[in-house]
Amino acid sequence: MVIPHDFEYVRPNTLEEATRALADCSGSAQVLAGGTDLVAWLRDDAVHPDLVVDIKAIDGLRDLAVADRTMTVGSLVTFTDLMESSVVAEHAPLLSEAAETVASPGIRNRATVVGNICSAVPSCDAGPVLLAYDAHVHLVGPEGFRSVPIEAWFVGLRQTARREDEIVTHLTMELPTHGGCYVKLMRYGGEDLAQAAVAIVVDDAHDYRIAFGAVAPTPVRAHAVEDAIRGRAPTEDVIAEAVAMVRSEISPINDLRATAEYRAHMCEVMLARGLVAADQRRNGDGPEYRTRLI
Amino acid sequence: MTTTHPFEAEAERNGELNAVGTSAVRIDGIDKISGAAQFVDDLDFGPGLLHGAVVESPHAYARIVSIDTSKAEDAPGVVKVVTGQDFPYNFGMYMGDRYIFAQGHVRFVGEQVAGVIARTHRQAVQAAKLVEVEYEVLEALLDPKEAVADGAPLIHPDLGEYSHVPWFFPKAGTNIAHWRKIRKGDTERAFAEADYVLADTYRVPRYAHCAIEPHVTVGKLDHAGRLTVWTASQSPHTQRHLFAEALAPLGFSHKDVRVITPYVGGGFGGKAGVTMEVIGAAMATAVKGHPVKLRFTREQEFYNTYQRQGVVAELKVGVMNDGTITAVEHTLYWDAGAYVEYGANVVNAAGLSATGPYRVPNIRNDSLCVYTNLPPGGPYRGFGYSEFHFGLESHLDRVAAAIGMDPVDFRRKNAIVEGDELSYGAHMNPSGLLPAIDETASAIDWGVEEQSDDPNTVIGKGIALFWKAPAMPPNASSASFLKFNEDGSVNVSVSGMELGQGYLTVMAQIAAEVLGLPVEKVRVETPDTDRNPYEWQTVASHVTWSSGLAVERAAVEAREKIFDVIHQVYGYEDDTLYLADEQVKCTTDPDFAKPLRDFVIDGIQTEDGTWRGGPIVASGKFMPEFTNANSDPETGQGGHPNVHYTVGACGMVIEIDTHTGRIFVRKAALAVDAGKAINPDLVRGQITGGLVQGLATVLYEDMRFDEDGRLLNPNFTDYKIPTAFDIPDEMIPIIIEVPQPDGPFGARGVGEHTMIGAAPAIANAVFDALGVRITSMPITQEKVAQAVSASPT
Repeated sequence: MVIPHDFEYVRPNTLEEATRALADCSGSAQVLAGGTDLVAWLRDDAVHPDLVVDIKAIDGLRDLAVADRTMTVGSLVTFTDLMESSVVAEHAPLLSEAAETVASPGIRNRATVVGNICSAVPSCDAGPVLLAYDAHVHLVGPEGFRSVPIEAWFVGLRQTARREDEIVTHLTMELPTHGGCYVKLMRYGGEDLAQAAVAIVVDDAHDYRIAFGAVAPTPVRAHAVEDAIRGRAPTEDVIAEAVAMVRSEISPINDLRATAEYRAHMCEVMLARGLVAADQRRNGDGPEYRTRLI
Repeated sequence: MTTTHPFEAEAERNGELNAVGTSAVRIDGIDKISGAAQFVDDLDFGPGLLHGAVVESPHAYARIVSIDTSKAEDAPGVVKVVTGQDFPYNFGMYMGDRYIFAQGHVRFVGEQVAGVIARTHRQAVQAAKLVEVEYEVLEALLDPKEAVADGAPLIHPDLGEYSHVPWFFPKAGTNIAHWRKIRKGDTERAFAEADYVLADTYRVPRYAHCAIEPHVTVGKLDHAGRLTVWTASQSPHTQRHLFAEALAPLGFSHKDVRVITPYVGGGFGGKAGVTMEVIGAAMATAVKGHPVKLRFTREQEFYNTYQRQGVVAELKVGVMNDGTITAVEHTLYWDAGAYVEYGANVVNAAGLSATGPYRVPNIRNDSLCVYTNLPPGGPYRGFGYSEFHFGLESHLDRVAAAIGMDPVDFRRKNAIVEGDELSYGAHMNPSGLLPAIDETASAIDWGVEEQSDDPNTVIGKGIALFWKAPAMPPNASSASFLKFNEDGSVNVSVSGMELGQGYLTVMAQIAAEVLGLPVEKVRVETPDTDRNPYEWQTVASHVTWSSGLAVERAAVEAREKIFDVIHQVYGYEDDTLYLADEQVKCTTDPDFAKPLRDFVIDGIQTEDGTWRGGPIVASGKFMPEFTNANSDPETGQGGHPNVHYTVGACGMVIEIDTHTGRIFVRKAALAVDAGKAINPDLVRGQITGGLVQGLATVLYEDMRFDEDGRLLNPNFTDYKIPTAFDIPDEMIPIIIEVPQPDGPFGARGVGEHTMIGAAPAIANAVFDALGVRITSMPITQEKVAQAVSASPT
């Protein structure tokens, strides 16, 4: 493989050094964690950074733990880590359900959850799940630490609230008792980017959080659907009501992978099946996590 | 006639055979699982190795105004930059319409315009970006129907001047590079008299081979003027021939050109003939003394090797109420791409056989090879047959339904049998088509309606027949050398390629059978054109048959030499001698047993102390001496272009999720008439592999181009081939054995055939499940979902 573009590469040991390197860079810089997006872009000559800051040598970015009903996911946590973690399986099973649909084992061994939402392509699998979990993104920059609610994180196509001199340190999520699901439309059984996806969380009060992926410039929360069916079990009527609202919550496009119409149709199908499965899981009698619902 | 099923005890039905007909362990297995097997990119060429990179056209059709290589030449590490001016030669497999580097015009996006040779691969890639090419963009033709329309711009204005094989009929002044016509009987009258006539159009897109190993070549012109080219290829001798021809102006003769082909990581037709290898060979001539490596990326693999051609198939079939097919009109507009030097023969092969395996008295086939400004079409497993069977077998299901006949009964009634007249007037070879139909139907419980418990799921069954003949020049040949070693083991030299199909093993089995040896005592390796005898190419599903015959003949010659020595020394008549258990034995003297190891090198000492015999060496060759391609251009009648057909049937049981459109293949059965399965496990491997590849083309794969002719999905992100998650729940390989009279032990080829039936069988199963007919490939889940929502049910 050839990376035709030349760039500086640093591998700092601390966040301070890393943020300083970013701040001091007069041109463009890229942060490297798993590199599964960045290296492909470099190979394709699609990005031309002057500096690449590799954060893998920095301590403290690999946390994957629950404390005080808050889950922390460090920025070096990979999708494989999510799939193999009993903490995730117990407290945030949608993360592992989504992780399993990401690319292939080799990629999942390197690709990070945080990198996934930093690349912020519309089809990013972590996006809808983190939206449904109401996660927070924690960053550090020259002016110190700050956190951004996930809904404010995705600001446009491949654009996030991260400033160029900031590094994401970790994600946090308050853990409700819940059931949920991540349902993803793929073209076949093998690895694929989502053509559409839905993440659903439901608690015992039938309070829903619903987010769609790959059907808008960013992953999107479906607040109107949530509000409409709040407090009600997913009966046929409730599902029909929710499904009827789907198309006003999303703005899918036609592309190589699917038509807008099929994406919209599948959002309806996935929401209908997902609401049932999520509620069954909440109740302890749904299909096991990580089984395909479509 | 016998049929076999998986895992049936093979010895029992195998009669007297010891090596042939057994599932011998593949002889390349240890090489591959141990890592000993070397592929071109594994070979070490030392620190003098240079690397090539290609400057590619960004336009589908343009005139090259100027090329400025000066900046690239000054870039770090660059040794040489070459362009079309350095190699103003055309060449081609069957038609000389191709160039080493673009000559004046580019005709597809990605076409090679210049080549950069540098010390490192990275330097070559970087410098290639510095070559400045000015283009005058021309109107591109991306659709074969548009390209044949009156007044369409010409992609090859010089078409009339190109050399070509005598069985091509180019239409100078058009974009039709070849037009294969078949005219038999009177279709007009037959349609008028038919009880039912159905006409429709079917569309099949382009496909990529997706071999795991990309194309790679290393060329070296040494200081003595010897050109050696290491290639990942299905066709070492054909490559040598084309290199020698294309580069003849540089003074090469065939003896000076040597092609070495180590193991290959899959071909599927994509490594047949010559594609990028000629670029590597030409680059090497520019930097005498240095090996030059050119290795394609996965993207280049998609857009600048061969692609399977797309086709628009207009089909009209007439039948009587009793189910007799009376007429077929099949017009195939092939999107053959920018250069058709190989692809035009795909068009030819399809045109000869576009009725499918049926007895049809009135035929009008038109198979048009149409230039377009898309990447060159070429050979792909199935060689045109996969493409036309999709429409044909879909259509016949519809015809059967329209006259109220069961699709299996309909096919059975019209199935071609031995002696029936073919579309070009020759006669059908012995074939097990009827048992193939019956066994396939039985394997999928044809006629038994199945219903799912899930209200969102419907179940459908579909069946399709297939046939295919090797598409070869009428005199395509194979040869082999055989030599004994001191311990009675044997080396067999052939020039067919081990592509994963098990060719080397099958050749070893044939030699072992004739010579009474265990298969383990026979070594067969990948070729080097200097050392190994001629083989046309490993394509057309012909090497088991053709190369197998050459090996059989070499082994017979060796056996005769062995018997001759025994006769000289011991006086036994040759016809009383036989080989078994690595010994020469005699039917008239049960006590006689002479181990081969005792004499096949050193000979046998006679009573007077002198010796007889010496090293046993032999050769064999095979050329089909009954074929000819001399048919009438207007009717296709008169020749005998195909050696024989291999036939079979494919059946599918599928479930469809009616909400998502997703198809789950629950059962896939395929019966193919191998004549004689020399290695039943390898035949089953071909069947399962072919089924999966066929399913891939119908369910997932789809080359997509934008309006400027740029391939949008030259990657596995958006060009989907099946994974382990996507194979059918159950695959049932069925081997039919109706011997091919001229085949080695009755064998004929099965490699390509196994993928042909899957696509139409799925289309027919979708119809069975949903009542919706989809007439274009692929049948994706999205297309099925659309069909469900459009369907009245």
